[in-house]
Amino acid sequence: MDISERINTTPTREDELDSFLELTPALVQKRRSQGRIILDRFLRNKAAIVGAVFLIVLTIFCFLGPWLTGHNNPNAIDVTNAAASFAGPSLAHPFGTDDVGRDELARVMAGGQVSLLVGLTSMLMAIFIGVTLGAIAGYYGGIVDNLLMRFTDVVLSVPLYLLLFVLSASFSDGTPRSVIILIAVFGWMYAARLVRGEFLALKEREFVLAARTIGVRDFRMMFRHMLPNAIGPIVVNATLLVSTNIILESVLSYFGFGIKPPGASWGNLVSTGQGLVDVDPKLVFIPGLLIFFTVLSLNLVGDGLRDALDPYMTER
Amino acid sequence: MGRYIIRRLLQAIPLLFFVSIGMFALIHLLPGGPEAVLFNPHLTAAGRAALRARLGLDDPVPIQYLKWISSALTGNFGFSFVTNEPVITILGRRFPPTLELFASALVLALILAIVIGVVSAVRQGTLTDYALTTISYFGIAMPIFLLGVFAQDIFAVQLHWLPASGTATLGYSFSPVEAFFDHFEHLLLPMLVLAASFIAGWNRYMRSSMIETVKQDYMRTARAKGVGTVSMLFRHALRNAVIPLITVVALDFGAVAGGATITEGVFAWPGMGSLFLDSLDRRDYPVLLAMLMLSAAFVIAFNLIADILYGVMDPRIRYS
Repeated sequence: MDISERINTTPTREDELDSFLELTPALVQKRRSQGRIILDRFLRNKAAIVGAVFLIVLTIFCFLGPWLTGHNNPNAIDVTNAAASFAGPSLAHPFGTDDVGRDELARVMAGGQVSLLVGLTSMLMAIFIGVTLGAIAGYYGGIVDNLLMRFTDVVLSVPLYLLLFVLSASFSDGTPRSVIILIAVFGWMYAARLVRGEFLALKEREFVLAARTIGVRDFRMMFRHMLPNAIGPIVVNATLLVSTNIILESVLSYFGFGIKPPGASWGNLVSTGQGLVDVDPKLVFIPGLLIFFTVLSLNLVGDGLRDALDPYMTER
Repeated sequence: MGRYIIRRLLQAIPLLFFVSIGMFALIHLLPGGPEAVLFNPHLTAAGRAALRARLGLDDPVPIQYLKWISSALTGNFGFSFVTNEPVITILGRRFPPTLELFASALVLALILAIVIGVVSAVRQGTLTDYALTTISYFGIAMPIFLLGVFAQDIFAVQLHWLPASGTATLGYSFSPVEAFFDHFEHLLLPMLVLAASFIAGWNRYMRSSMIETVKQDYMRTARAKGVGTVSMLFRHALRNAVIPLITVVALDFGAVAGGATITEGVFAWPGMGSLFLDSLDRRDYPVLLAMLMLSAAFVIAFNLIADILYGVMDPRIRYS
């Protein structure tokens, strides 16, 4: 027998293993990629699925709803009907109308666009700032780390709401853009601490040393080699940050520091509705409950991601 | 321990110094100062200049800062732009209502959070546990201003059970006893809302640390020597399980000087939080600065207190 033939016919250990596994299907676990494992773990969490589905439906409702239903002008006043103010639900106005006869459905959808956009974009900006500062502090250590972390301490030692109120009173022009910037500028601290901690641990690992020996530069090392290994906690923090930012926006708008009327956001809808609650409670409860369910869903998804990304992380 | 505390206190000094620079710069460098809000628009140019000079707004900002910080270090935070009262007097008037609201909410929340946490830990995995978990999950997701607005709408506006805002019914002369109950009625709603927001977070800590504690060996020993369930839970387990919660409570109490800004704003409670919002509207710089510094100092102090408490209650933890 030729030597090459022998090699080809000799069963390898892999083949043995496969045939063994075929005989005992109960022991077989299909090989799954890392991403697949995380996805499966996430999908097993029913609460997180409910949250994710609600968020998808809500996004469609707010962004496609105005276009699909034709309720696309949040500031239009129904002049065909003199008694249009505080109208109850009807075919023309499924959520009724507000104090000056504007369609509540259109306002809630427009407000939702603002609230969701503010939450999402300010999260992206805050995560960008936090990841950059945290990565630099954790990677370089020493005096850079010390300076950046003391700066973080300074920002963290003043209550967030007081800071935001002061700044938006002088700086904000009541547009979503200024609110986004403000919230982002004060939302990066926890992400920075988190990434710094991850980087402190990661830079001691062998793969970093390996990358350094083949001559990887600092920037590439931080963002191509180390950052992907810290992505789990960042994603969880980012999800929860969206919900925090939506709350911040609504609180700012509620106290008149955020989105200014006639622009709509869920926060200022609650604020205007509150003064009219004895006439028409729906003006408070519709936007209020939308904020509540959005925040609840984001928390459910965030916790689901936390469990999926890190099975060892204990429940808080 | 003593050296640790001293070192932490020394670290707080530069921190507060940088906070003071940051806050001063924020307040003075941004547009829309007291001139736009406070000054009579019909003021002549000369009158305007005189008023600016009297309020000390003419100096360059760094000089203004040096003047402010040197008098602040002697305990003089200046005078309100609006009422001309010393800032300290105003703070002294506004602090007690905040403390009353905060302390009462804190005590109520602490008791309820411990009881709920212990119950759901002991009944772990049962319907009771799931129900309590769901409720506190809802509580965590409910922004406090929304909880306040909803509570106000339901219990004050719709049901007329409790007053909606303020600290006392105006326009009546009450006997002391009636006045006390009237005040209590006003306190109830904001206190419950504030407490609810604390309970939602705290009972989770209590639950998980209680679950850890009841697994310990000494708990089995206690059971073996015949200690009753209630005594076992509340005398043996609770003492150890409550440690993580106490630190969280200390950290949350650090917010007291900033006031429960949101709760006070919603319920028009005349404490530090609404003082802050009012001063902000009127650009009352001295009051705002004093409040920002005071609340930063409280946050830093209670961070330290939380760490010290941790060491005191758990002798295994050593600081160096």
